Amino acid sequence: MASQNDNKNLVCPFCSLHCDDVSVTTDNNQYKVNESNNVCAKKIDTYNLNNKSMLLPKKGAKVVSLSSALEDIRNIIKGHNETLIINHGVDLSGVRSMLNFASQKNYIIDHINSKFLYQNIGVVQRTGYMATSLTEAKNRADVVMVFGNQIFDKSPRLLEKVLGAKNSLYMKKKKELILIGDFSENIIKEIKKKCNVTNVKLDLDLTNDFLNATSLDSSEAVKGLKKSKLSNIKNIINKSKYLVAIWLASDFIKAKNPKKIISSISKYIVDRNILSRAACMPISGSLADATSSQALTWTTGFSSRIKHSEGTFKHDRNAFDSKHLIDNNNVDVVIHISTISPDKLKLNKNVKNIVLGHPNTTFTMAPDIFIPVGIPGIDYEGIMFRTDNVVSVALKSIRGIKLPTTQNILDKLA
Amino acid sequence: MITQLKSGNVYDPHNKIFNVKKDIFIEDGKIINKKDIKSKIDKVINCSDKIVMPGAIDLHTHIGGGKVNIARLMLEEFHNEIDPNYDSSSIIAPSTLKTGLKYIEMGYTTCFEPALLPINARQAHAEMSDIPFIDKGGYALLGNDDYFLSLLKNKSSQSTINDYVAFILKATQSIGIKVVNPGGINAFKFNQRALNVDEKSKYFNITPREIVEKLTKALYDLGVPHPLHVHCSNLGIPGNFFSTIETIKAANGLPIHLTHIQFQSYGNNGDRGFSSAAVEISNYLNKIDNLTCDVGQIMFGQTVTMSGDSMSQHRNHKHAHPKKWMCMDIECDAGCGVVPFKYQDKSFVNALQWAIGLEIFLLAEDPWKVFLTTDHPNGAPFTSYPHLIKLLMDKTFRNDILNQLPKGILEHTILHTLKREYTMDEISIMTRSAPAKILGLEKKGNFSNGSDADITVYNKNIKDIEEMFAHPSLVIKDGKIVVENGQIKEYIWGKTHTVKPEYDKSIEKDLSKFFDKYHTMKLDNYIISDDEMHRLVGSPIYVNNCSRKRKE
Ligand code: SF4
Ligand SMILES: [Zn+2]
Repeated sequence: MASQNDNKNLVCPFCSLHCDDVSVTTDNNQYKVNESNNVCAKKIDTYNLNNKSMLLPKKGAKVVSLSSALEDIRNIIKGHNETLIINHGVDLSGVRSMLNFASQKNYIIDHINSKFLYQNIGVVQRTGYMATSLTEAKNRADVVMVFGNQIFDKSPRLLEKVLGAKNSLYMKKKKELILIGDFSENIIKEIKKKCNVTNVKLDLDLTNDFLNATSLDSSEAVKGLKKSKLSNIKNIINKSKYLVAIWLASDFIKAKNPKKIISSISKYIVDRNILSRAACMPISGSLADATSSQALTWTTGFSSRIKHSEGTFKHDRNAFDSKHLIDNNNVDVVIHISTISPDKLKLNKNVKNIVLGHPNTTFTMAPDIFIPVGIPGIDYEGIMFRTDNVVSVALKSIRGIKLPTTQNILDKLA
Repeated sequence: MITQLKSGNVYDPHNKIFNVKKDIFIEDGKIINKKDIKSKIDKVINCSDKIVMPGAIDLHTHIGGGKVNIARLMLEEFHNEIDPNYDSSSIIAPSTLKTGLKYIEMGYTTCFEPALLPINARQAHAEMSDIPFIDKGGYALLGNDDYFLSLLKNKSSQSTINDYVAFILKATQSIGIKVVNPGGINAFKFNQRALNVDEKSKYFNITPREIVEKLTKALYDLGVPHPLHVHCSNLGIPGNFFSTIETIKAANGLPIHLTHIQFQSYGNNGDRGFSSAAVEISNYLNKIDNLTCDVGQIMFGQTVTMSGDSMSQHRNHKHAHPKKWMCMDIECDAGCGVVPFKYQDKSFVNALQWAIGLEIFLLAEDPWKVFLTTDHPNGAPFTSYPHLIKLLMDKTFRNDILNQLPKGILEHTILHTLKREYTMDEISIMTRSAPAKILGLEKKGNFSNGSDADITVYNKNIKDIEEMFAHPSLVIKDGKIVVENGQIKEYIWGKTHTVKPEYDKSIEKDLSKFFDKYHTMKLDNYIISDDEMHRLVGSPIYVNNCSRKRKE
């Protein structure tokens, strides 16, 4: 049992920035963020247990013991043909045990955000690419182009910690932020407190035209963008010594051609490096996307969508797409692993659904078996990768409820 | 349980034993002297037609960390076994599992990742923990990080620098320190595109020479066995042998290790402006006591180059094959660049690179000072080592290949005039005892009482030397038989080798402030504890001794 008013340091698992400067008070295993000015305080607190939290395994609506839940899972798996594991977010130990489990039983693994991953890695797998990381951006970037508008919701402290950071080794002035897309007045107001802002309301499918028009020798116009604004932007960009482009791939989902947007940005950045310095810094999803893609890549050579067969992991971007597999009835058991977010899981009635999940998880329908598991960084120690892929953090354990870890469960099933 | 390897032809260079019929005894994962055996011998393995050597050690191979994983991700087509074009013999950017399998099948039992970015250390160790069989370790990169450069800029004392270096070794769980393009990676972030040994970087106003001086001194003062591991300035540029020699001088006579020296031994003579400077470099290597090197031999074929040297990799991206590449600036710490590349035997430059590497091997007088590497995968995948050994041991084989290269080559290389053939004694030194010695691994690379029972047994009856080295008949790791007649017998997991010289903890206070102000993580989180290595990262550590007490 955690003692009352115990102050603990949290390494935050809840988005891909994985901040490690948050302190929490724990009281009866409820935690509360101490810094009231922390924009994430509310978000982090809502992951606390509540009176609907499920702390015991369930078979349908019935509470069962862990051993009987495990037995039921073994029986379900035994009688079926093809099993798919969908990763909705877990730490490195969870991914490692998932790989071990899948390799012993010849299962398929996909991450729920793979489609966004593939949009981003497309540029690495087909063309040239220049990248940077959070601390570089904080200390060196003078101009930052932000594409899409969800980035500040999804990574709430990006502004405070990186783009509008108080201290910077080499930037003595505020950073110039060029916001491209459709940003709300509220967000713009917040950003203006810390950065100089140029807001470019733009249909993101016109990204390529816009970027071309910003080159000094271009006389092209861009639909919906005033000439004076464009020349202002040219001015800012022209003076830049270290320009950073950031985006969140999921922001482009409504665009006609998300891949083209990303490749236009990447090409623009590559070209800028002929004379100056510039780099891309895409922000990855909040469901431990980077942790999954990194560990799968080093273990198997593939970042997602793999199946173990004939002694090795094979990859097929289309055939092992979880949506495709379920829609086409190519799998009959799905194991969902979701330890970070309690958000509603979409389950499908045509398959057997097994969920290893956050105690607050909600579903579109009751799963066949549910086992509550610990939240990495809250209930147990672990490792997670940050959005820029180069930094990984050591998560701590801040409360004392005795939930099994994903690894505990999968190792028992393997 | 005691195992006896009976009457093999034993090579144990550390103990001056070469090709002597001898028994080797193993108890509890260690070598044991015959006279110390107290219980009965449980297992006798007849080695009468075998060569018995300590497990091989690779002191420079890129097997873990961010850039390796970028290469894996970028080159997906090279590991997709369901792709009809898949080639199972080429292991371009292998997965951790394949890395372990291929190394152990060749009798390599200990390998070192030479470019471990401190900020990326957790990942590098986590990856390497997932490589089965082998022991491993890493060299932490310094010399381009903004903190170190600001120490130099502020004229900090050597003793403060020593504290920082020792702190980095501990925090990143490393066994050595490497510098890559000293100051150049940092200068590239300020848009500088080249940095010569005595050229000042624009922002910090510091030369590569000063960086090499300070770091070689730090490792010497701290008593770290492995000297500074240096990837010199101007990698791959014609005429770079001048800067290589200047870098050697920068050590002021203290121990220094130059890595993949083949890429640093280029002249700019002749009609193509590209020539071999192997003779000039070898003269230095042979005359200077404290200088060691590994070669970084290239082989013809597809590979991928990966380096912390973002400055040179960005310059090289035009040569990418297939046409894709990536460079990255990393956390005010370092950088990286990944560029796939195909060395072509029809290309004058590539053919000469091949010859230069072999010239250096053959001109080196002392096998204790030169190590067998391909800078995996930069020159070629490590799986080409048996082929490389044959090139060194068989001049007819070597000259047959040389004669097939572009005609002009013979005017630019002395390779065809070098009659030397490496002996088995020399190969056993340069792949076992010498790397163990230069890394300070007292329990590796020898058959002394109490040493780790990492043993490779080759079949003498295999006449083709390449075949013999590619397929040892028995590989023993920590006393366990892991490979027998080409079959994996058991999966085991190795440990991580580190070294932990002492330092004044007050450096952490200053660093902690620096992290809070300028980094995006806390110093606490940056440090990897021994316990974390074991429980979360997945590899127990082994702390090797420093060679003596700290000096300053
Ligand atoms: S920005 Fe993300 S990681 Fe940082 S505190 Fe908020 S939710 Fe947690
Ligand atoms: Zn190297």
